[in-house]
Order: sequence, then structure tokens, then C-alpha cells
Amino acid sequence: MNNLNSMPELPILNDQPTGRRSFLKACGATLGLAAWATALRPLTEWTEDLNVDEFLQKHYRELTADQKQAVFKRLEAETKENYGADVHITDSQPIPGVQFAYALNLSICIGCRKCAEACHIENNHDRTTNNSYIRVFEMQMGGIDFEKGNATYDHPVPQPGKFYMPVQCQQCENPPCVTACPIEATWQEDDGIVVVDYNWCIGCRYCEAACPYHARRFNWEKPEIPAEEINPQQGYLSNRIRPQGVMEKCTFCLHRTREGRMPACLEACPTGARVFGNVLDPDSEIRWVIENKRTFVLKEELGTKPRFYYFFDE
Amino acid sequence: MTSTPAAAAAPGIQRDAIRSYPGFLWKALGVATNGTWLFYGWMTLLTAIALVGANAWAVQVRDGMIVTNMSDHVSWGLYIANFTFCVGLAAGGVMMVIPAYLYDDEEMHGLVIIGEAVAVAAIIMSTLSVVVDLGRPDRFWHLIPGIGKFNWPMSMLTWDIIVLNGYLVINLHIVGYLLYMKYLGRKPNPNWYVPFVFLSIIWAISIHTVTAFLYCGLGGRPFWNTSLLAPRFLASAFVSGPAFILLVLRVLRMTTGWQWSPRPAQTLIQIIRVAMSINLLMLASELFTLFYTGSGHAAAARYLFFGSHGANGLVAWIWTAIALNLIGTVLFFQPAALERSWLRIAACLCCIVGIWIEKGMGLVIPGFIPSTLHEVVEYAPSMTEWKITTGILAFGLLVLTLLVKLIAAVELKQISQPKGSGTTEAQA
Amino acid sequence: MDRESHTNSGPFLLVLAVLLVLQGCSEPIDNSVESVAANSTLEPLFATVIREPPVPHGVRAVAPNGEEVSLQCNACHSVRAHNLKSASAVDLDEFHQGMHYQHGSLTCVSCHQPDDGYSSLRLADGTSIAFFESIQLCGQCHGPQLRDYEHGAHGGMTGYWDLTRGGRERNHCLHCHDAHKPAYADFQPVAPPRDRFAPANHHAESSEAFHATSGLGDSHHE
Ligand code: SF4
Ligand code: SF4
Repeated sequence: MNNLNSMPELPILNDQPTGRRSFLKACGATLGLAAWATALRPLTEWTEDLNVDEFLQKHYRELTADQKQAVFKRLEAETKENYGADVHITDSQPIPGVQFAYALNLSICIGCRKCAEACHIENNHDRTTNNSYIRVFEMQMGGIDFEKGNATYDHPVPQPGKFYMPVQCQQCENPPCVTACPIEATWQEDDGIVVVDYNWCIGCRYCEAACPYHARRFNWEKPEIPAEEINPQQGYLSNRIRPQGVMEKCTFCLHRTREGRMPACLEACPTGARVFGNVLDPDSEIRWVIENKRTFVLKEELGTKPRFYYFFDE
Repeated sequence: MTSTPAAAAAPGIQRDAIRSYPGFLWKALGVATNGTWLFYGWMTLLTAIALVGANAWAVQVRDGMIVTNMSDHVSWGLYIANFTFCVGLAAGGVMMVIPAYLYDDEEMHGLVIIGEAVAVAAIIMSTLSVVVDLGRPDRFWHLIPGIGKFNWPMSMLTWDIIVLNGYLVINLHIVGYLLYMKYLGRKPNPNWYVPFVFLSIIWAISIHTVTAFLYCGLGGRPFWNTSLLAPRFLASAFVSGPAFILLVLRVLRMTTGWQWSPRPAQTLIQIIRVAMSINLLMLASELFTLFYTGSGHAAAARYLFFGSHGANGLVAWIWTAIALNLIGTVLFFQPAALERSWLRIAACLCCIVGIWIEKGMGLVIPGFIPSTLHEVVEYAPSMTEWKITTGILAFGLLVLTLLVKLIAAVELKQISQPKGSGTTEAQA
Repeated sequence: MDRESHTNSGPFLLVLAVLLVLQGCSEPIDNSVESVAANSTLEPLFATVIREPPVPHGVRAVAPNGEEVSLQCNACHSVRAHNLKSASAVDLDEFHQGMHYQHGSLTCVSCHQPDDGYSSLRLADGTSIAFFESIQLCGQCHGPQLRDYEHGAHGGMTGYWDLTRGGRERNHCLHCHDAHKPAYADFQPVAPPRDRFAPANHHAESSEAFHATSGLGDSHHE
């Protein structure tokens, strides 16, 4: 045991009794620092892609109109640089007096996955993973038991004895994902759509754990899309190309629906199993379905109050 | 602190205490960098492992979380598993404190500081485990209240951030204060630390409770959504914490000249015996509810314990954990465990590893399997995840080694305030 | 009916508001249409247009001079005797050979109008309607489907949910259902998701066994 009190006051540099040791220590310290720098070098390669403006960007809801425009310009330029595509980023706002709802007729859904494909294209999803916000389950007649479901079927549809159940974000009225997020990077808009600010999210994935409907997707790596396949009509809160390391989810195609158009998945559905509209309009199709069909919502017992209804024809 | 006579009488002493603080830090640095070759070897080894982890993390940040084996189905993995265990360890660190202060066990007082040091190291490990789990660590500032956007009180994660940081500050204060007073050769002023000790006891309960709430508050994950989770977390923390402290004490006794009576360790073992029994009882009651009713909620437990749909990636893990926990418990109940035996060491190791699995891989992962839409997607950590997690553990041990070495040095009067220095002599 | 009929159709479209189609319907259906069509806002609505279904406008034949011509049904049927009992494709010849017919026990004249040489369709009350208007004809038996169609809950569509901002195009029954064999034929779906780690629970085999023993057939859960 060294008794340090017997040593001079500068234990490292003036370490007289063991000068060799102090030399070794200095070497060790230098080597150590160099080793840390080397170990962390990949970080510098990563930060080349980042810029100060992005780093300092405020939360979407705190941006002024001018700041928003600057952000959109920057994102458009970045997309040009990284993906070689000219895109236009818009910022559609909720329409006053409109609350969206969606309904899906399980009796006529044939499981063709056309909706999932349309989502993939519309929302500029990563091509390698064939990602989509919609997962279509082939379900067993005789119950709604996902344990007997299968989302990766690859045989002709519709199969006898089966029905098909597409699942996407239910745009819960009481969304557990929003409660979970530690930094309000995800929130519910006035028309009921739950959105994510992809430039604010830190990628903790707590919301993904909280969602009872497997609706959220994480960008495990930078999405890859050929320039010619990029959908240039992009919303800041919806289908713009997401950065690596953040969460994303279905937004009921708000860049379309807030302009009065149908969501891409509905337009792709050949059978018309999907019904979309303003639930506050008593004459809307969606209201007719909710009032006249025996609808149900997924996992009603969780109290999430989905805005996504399922129904069967009688 | 003018209310106490000691402090009121001597404002000069206070000033000196502040003056000589740089000297203390300088000497602490000396302690940290001086030691036997064994010490150097140990520190070099830990640094090397931490470096490998740091490098793996840097690559992960650059290339994306794709280098882990997590997926949209199993979106948390080894990092969060390790986080959960480390929070338990931190909470368990105060196990020394409870008998020492609540029951005024005088002999424990001297060792309390070790428990606090374990807590500090464990909190650092938990924080790092969360940081490496972030997809965008560059946006860390979004989490800082005031500058970022802190979703408090709604998000349980914000609660966790508050309690973990608070706990770190409290424990750093207690360790630092006690140590510095010892260094100065003064008697610590109870007003300066006893309230914090009691605060840390309550706080220790809160960190693990809040961490449990992180999981059990999620209605969509039936495996976690049980009110028994927080008590189970606490019970297991009261095992892993003391068991870890027992190991630290053993190492200290073997590598330094620090001696103490066998009593404190025996108290800890009594705590472990009770806590482990409660832990096992709660586990059994949880399993009964799940399997006897056989509801759909049992799907995750079925996967965990027996595998389902031909997938059984966690079966080996959980049975290992159960076996280790049972063996550990049996060993702890042996009379030999009350003596300074190897049996005690074996018991500690069994329980620590057992709980690491049970609270980590055995709790976090099955929350995701089957997924919320009942898809069975398996998960096994990737090499990167192992590297980073091991790196964090190594870094935590490194911090702990330094802290404990410093504590021992002060305790054994290897460093202390030089006599006569103070009012006039400027240090360093 | 003071709404504007917005015409933005391409050449492949037949422009017709749903409303107009349905005006020929029987009374009760008409009422329900009113209630749907009424919009709470007073803004003019864009039109909903039904895409022209993939039906032939006659049959193709080669004239004696070698030219290809399109023949209308009444080219033959106006001069032939009608077989009002025919309910199967097997005893048809000439242009109808190879036709698959599988639509209950309906006879040809359940839907086709013999009175004008089969050149139009025939409602149950004997009224002739154009081929394109077959939606009404189908709806005579498939009432619930027609009702759902009218309420936007059956049949594919594109365009605007908000008709004050833009119009809509809707599929015709015949886009999905062959009138002679209306059951939806099975086909290969879009490729499944390429998950990095595929789910272990596929139920392809077990489901077959379940279906065989459950006796649930095609009946739905509700
Ligand atoms: S379905 Fe999931 S992602 Fe969508 S609002 Fe509900 S909890 Fe959030
Ligand atoms: S992943 Fe992003 S959106 Fe989800 S909880 Fe974390 S910060 Fe919020």
C-alpha cells in the first residue's frame, strides 16, 4: 500500500520516487486519449451529414411561419442533395369542423394488400424493407383472434374460411403513444390525427412500446428510395422522407386528406372496403357506417378510443 | 446552516473547507492513478472493454440502429434490459442505508458510503444504457427541461429522468460530503447529510417504482401491465443491491487493509433472505394467475417459459435465471452464508446473474413477444449490442473502482488534509 | 337538385352523377339517396362519376369482305326466336361459346331484354335499361350491397372525401364482378412485408384443419 501522504503534492507530474512510473502514466494518458478519439471516430463521419440549423431547430409547434418556410426550404434542398429528387414540402393544417374517422368492411376486404402497397409508395417508405403503415392479417373465421392471424401469407386470396384484417394506426382519441413520449415529439392534432415531428423525435421508441396496435415504425437506418420513385408531394408532418433514427406512423395521409382528398390506401382498395370522412358531418359516409353498421374497434377495453372502425356486412 | 453551533461558531473553517477542496481533488486524482500493477491491469482491462463499447456505439450512431437486432416488433432489447437491472442495483445500493439509519445500526454507518458509491456507479450505467438506446442522441437537449420540451407529468419517462438524476445528485452529495469531511479529519455535520440520507432512502424506492411504472403503465402490453411489477422490482432490487455490495466489500477487504466486523454483511444477508423469499413468492403468484386462468394474456409467459409456435429463444434464459435464483436463495439460507465463506460469494453471484436475466431479458423482451398483434418475432442481441452493453458495465465498474479506491484511501487515512495547511497555505 | 354537375371526365369515362343513375330506381332507394346526398353545407358539390365498366359494346365479327366489324346483339336476336327458358351457357353457340355462367338459377332473360333483341337490360318490372345502368339491375337482388354502394361503403373509389373541394370516381359493379360469374375470383396478392425477422407464427396448415372441423363455412363472425 502506498501512503500517498508521503508523496509530493502533484501526484502525477511530480511523482519523483517513481519517475519512470510517472512517465508511463503520461504515455498511458496520451494513448488513452488517442484510443478514445479513434474509437469514437465514426461519430465524425456521421456529423458530416448534420448541420447546425437542424441541430438547433425548434419544435414544430413553436416555429413561426417564416421559420417553417426556412425549414421546408432546407429539407427540400437536403432531399435534392441526398436523394436527387425535387420535392415540395407542404404544411396542411387541420380543417376547422373536421374530425377524421376511418371504417373498414371486413366482409369485403379480400386481403390483396393493395392498400399496404399504396401506402408504401405514397409515403416514401424505405424500399429495402418494403415498409408500410398497414399490416394485413389473414384471420380465421370464427373469431377475431390475432393469435391465429398471419400477416405474411403469400398465396392466392381470398382463401375460404378466412377473412382479412388490415391494421394501421387507429388514430386513438386517447392515444397512449402521445402520453408516453417524453418530449412531445408526437401529439394529436385538432382533426384527430396523431403526428410525429421527425425533426424533434429522439428515437427512444417508448411510443412504439406504448402503442397497442403495432402502428409505429422506427427508422432503423436511412431510408433508401430511387429518385424517380419518390413522391414529390410531401407533408412536413406526414410523408416527407424521414431521417434515420426517428419514429414514424400513419397520418391518414394528412397532406391529401386535409386538402379534401381520400387517403392513398382507400383509393387503392379495389373493393371499397374502406370508408373515410368527416365524422362531424352527419351526412358523411363514415357517419352512415357508424350509425347503421354494427361496428367495433380493436381492443376497446384499453380505452384508447380508436377512430378506426371495423364492421361486417350482415 | 447557521442553526448548528459548530457551523455558526466557525465560519472560517467553512472557508478553509472550500479553499482546500482543490487539494482534495488533486489528491483524489493521485489516488485514482496510483496503485498496484493489479490495479493498473484491472483498469486497463476495463478501459479496453469500454473502448470497444464506445466504438460500437459510434458505429451504431453513424449506421443506424439497424446494427442491433431490435425490430419494430421487439423495439427494446438488451440496452433497456440492462437499464432495468442497473436501476435495481442503484436502488439496492441504499440497502446499507436503511439498517444504518432507520435502525441506528452504528456499525453500518462506516460502510454506508460504499452502498452510495455503488448507487452512483449504477445510475451512471443506467443513464448510459438509455443514451445508447436513443436513435438520435444528438437531440439529447430536447430532454432538458426548460430548453427542450419536457412532457411532464404525463410521460413516465420524464419521471424516470427526474428521479434518476435526482438520485445521482443526492448520492454524489452524500458520498462527496462524507468523504471530504473524513479527509479534513472533521466530524461530518449531520445537518448536512442525514436529511439527504433519508431522502435517498425514499428516492431509492421511487427510482425503481417509477422504472416499473414505465412498463406496467402500458395497457397494450399485458405481460407488463400488472400491479405486482413495482413490488417485484423492489424485492429483486433488495437482493441484487446487497449481493453486489457484499462482493464489493469482499474485494475491498482483500485488496486494501480495510477491516470491519462481520456484522454488517450479516445484516445484508438477512435482508437478502427476506427480499428473495418475497420476490420468489410474488413471481409464483404472478405465474399462477397467468397460467391457471390461461387467458390470452398468458401468451407472453408461455413464450417465455415454454416457447410457442416453435420459437423458444428465451426459454433457456429464463430457466437459467430461475435455477440461479433458487440456488442462490438456498445458498443464502445456509448457515455458512453468514460466515465469510466462498459459499456466500457463490450465492451473491447466482442471485446477481439470476436477477440480471429475470429483470432484463426475462422481463423486457417478453413484453414484446408476442407483439401487440400477436406476431411472434424473436430477438437475440447482436454483437454490437453485447459490445455496447459490456462497455457500459465496464465503464460502471471503472467508476466504482475509482470511487471505492478513493473511499478506502480516505478511510485508511492514506490521504488527508495536511496538518497546518488551511488558512494561509494555498493548495495546488 | 340545384347542384352543379361538374364534368371533368376523360374519354374513358361516362359522365353521370350517382344521383342521376339512381333516379330511375324504385322509391324507397330513392329516399335513402336523398338523405345521403344532402350536405350540411350549402356549397355546390362536385360530381361523383361512375367509371365505365369493362363491358363489350357488341361482339366482334368478320364481315364477308374481310373487315372486322362490331355487331350489336339485335343484329342476330331481332331475327331469331327467343329461348326464354335458357339458363345455362352450355347450349349457347356462336358468339356465346366458351362463356362461363354461374349466377344462381337466373335465366338469360332475367336480366337481358328480349323485347329489343337483347340490346338492353331488363328490370323485373319489364323496364328496359341501358347496359351501363346495370347497377340498378344488380340491386334488385343484391339490395344490401346496393344500399352500401350508395352510402360509399361498397365498391372502390378515388377522389375527394370532401365533395365541396373536388369530385369522385367510383367503380361500377362490373369492375369487380363478372355479371355471368359474379363471385370474386382469387388472385395473388401484393408481396408480403419483408420483415428483417419474420414472425414465427404462420398458421397456413392449422387453419385448414380448423376450417374443416368447425363447419363455419363462409358465414361471418357477426
Ligand atoms: S394506434 Fe398506436 S400510434 Fe396510432 S394513435 Fe393509437 S397508440 Fe398512437
Ligand atoms: S420515439 Fe420519438 S415520438 Fe416516440 S416516444 Fe420517443 S421521442 Fe417520442
